[in-house]
Amino acid sequence: MRILRFVVRRLLQLVPVLLGVVVLAFLLVRVLPGDPVRSILGQNATEEDAAAARARFGLDQSLWHQFLDYLGGLLTGDFGTSIQSGGSVGSEMALRVGPTLELVVISVTFALVVATVLGIWSAKRANRAGDHSIRIFALVGNSVPEFWLGLVLVLVGYSILGWFPAPNGRVDPDTGLTPLTGADLVDAVLTANGPATASAAAYLVLPVLTLVVGVVAPLLRSVRASALEVLHSESYAAAKAHGLRDRTLHHGYLLRATLVRLPSLAALVFGTAIGSTVLVEYVFSWQGFGQWALRGLLYRDYPVVQASVLVIALCYVLVFLIADVVHAILDPRVRL
Amino acid sequence: MAELRTVPGGPAAAPVVVPGGDRDGRFASRMIIAGASILSVVALAAVFAPLLSQWGETEIDAANTLVAPGGSHLLGTDGNGMDIWSRVLYAARLDLGIALAAVALAVVVGTLLGLVAGYFGGWLDDVLMRVVDIFQSFPTFILALAVAALLGNGTINLIVTIAAVNAPAYARLVRAEVRSLRELPFVDAAITSGASPAGVLWRHLLPNSLTPVRVIAPLNCGWAMLTLAGLSFLGLGVSIPEAEWGAMISLGAADVVGGRWWTSVPPGLALFVCVLGFSLLGEGLQDRANAKRR
Repeated sequence: MRILRFVVRRLLQLVPVLLGVVVLAFLLVRVLPGDPVRSILGQNATEEDAAAARARFGLDQSLWHQFLDYLGGLLTGDFGTSIQSGGSVGSEMALRVGPTLELVVISVTFALVVATVLGIWSAKRANRAGDHSIRIFALVGNSVPEFWLGLVLVLVGYSILGWFPAPNGRVDPDTGLTPLTGADLVDAVLTANGPATASAAAYLVLPVLTLVVGVVAPLLRSVRASALEVLHSESYAAAKAHGLRDRTLHHGYLLRATLVRLPSLAALVFGTAIGSTVLVEYVFSWQGFGQWALRGLLYRDYPVVQASVLVIALCYVLVFLIADVVHAILDPRVRL
Repeated sequence: MAELRTVPGGPAAAPVVVPGGDRDGRFASRMIIAGASILSVVALAAVFAPLLSQWGETEIDAANTLVAPGGSHLLGTDGNGMDIWSRVLYAARLDLGIALAAVALAVVVGTLLGLVAGYFGGWLDDVLMRVVDIFQSFPTFILALAVAALLGNGTINLIVTIAAVNAPAYARLVRAEVRSLRELPFVDAAITSGASPAGVLWRHLLPNSLTPVRVIAPLNCGWAMLTLAGLSFLGLGVSIPEAEWGAMISLGAADVVGGRWWTSVPPGLALFVCVLGFSLLGEGLQDRANAKRR
């Protein structure tokens, strides 16, 4: 109940923040040099054509008018019309968010598990060879350019070994998958489409691996540091001196205390992963949100940029909210 | 890594050194040496690129496009017939140069803002910190993309972009440091002996608040290189024919699917090794700084 109240309060606090983001995105995108209609008209368009196109998208109105229009639309769930494609931004985005979220959520989850296991293992062997190699591994993960790692994985996994599909999408089109959420693996499982499930999973392996290597390093460091702290704490020493079983020590003391700090860091890493997906999607032709937003930015497609900035900010703040709730559940000392 | 921690809830909050880290600092020293060696090699490669390669930075061998490594092209050529080995060497100039310049700019601007905000406080501090908050509430690479789109291509613009994304972190770091330093007796002593605010800031607070900056900056250089390469990869950074690792990887991306590894793998490897050098150096320095706090 207390948690519910906390969530509602935080959600209400989000309203002004998101309103700020909406205003900022609206203004910034109009400060960008470059003209959104020029890019759809081509080189031979006359000044009249440009003016007509501008009028069609309401860009000839005053800034206030445009903003109120946009805000009014947002309140009814209308993100506007894409200048590039002429389609509804809301429905275009709906198709794009699913695939990206699928990629990011699977990668971050996977990275969390790997970081917890390796981090605790490494802390127990502090300053021995195993620990040093884990630290070097974390440094490597921190230093490798993700988009290049993706290409190397394609080279090895597809071009040389042929184990994984080519980087040309998210699922084999021949499997006849009916899209529901846009997250292909989920769709395939929901529609009980066996071949599509296998295909979607195979397509996911390389991009997920790419993201995991990039994302696991900071998590690994944090787990290692927290675990070291617990291992050398007086309470742990006391528990050990009382002769508690290893299992109890490990689960009741080490694991739980180590995991307490993880949610907020995971939230931060989730943000980094959203940034990285722009690059990783590009490598794997994932046709997700990152690619869509990038194209919007490059073509100065105002409604697309505005919508993607809003969605990224919304994702970011919601993930931090979830992290706070999980933290409170893990650590009873936290009062919400 | 010897870590400091405070006893939770203890009234004295005495610092306790957590043993089990790198007690004698040997691992830290090794990391620093390894990082510095890697970076020296890269710097030498950048300086002596003309001596180490047979082909020019943008020289085109039109008869030999996309040839495999061997023969007169040590690492083969790309789709335009430009020599990969030569360009990997030459690219170190632009990559190192832009990253170092960007981090230097970020350090200078961020430190100044942090000093002013931390020392004077009040509305100035509030405004500056709110701006920093806004900057830091977006994923950094997304922010870099947006600023790069705003400013457009060009070396100077890229330096400004990467610096703009990084400066807020330094501002926050230095501000926190100044705020705690300001309360120490030596600052009062300086003020009572008649030092001007500028004098106190410049002579006393600045040198003392730079310690964390020195540790963060090398790590940040690595990150700056990754950002630069990422931007170039997406076509928002350095563009072909100039030699830059990210742009080279981007050019070769399509070849990889066909198994032609030599256009993308070498520049990426160079980038990775260089960033690893910065990471090793930064991590080693960080370990050392932590050990010193004992």
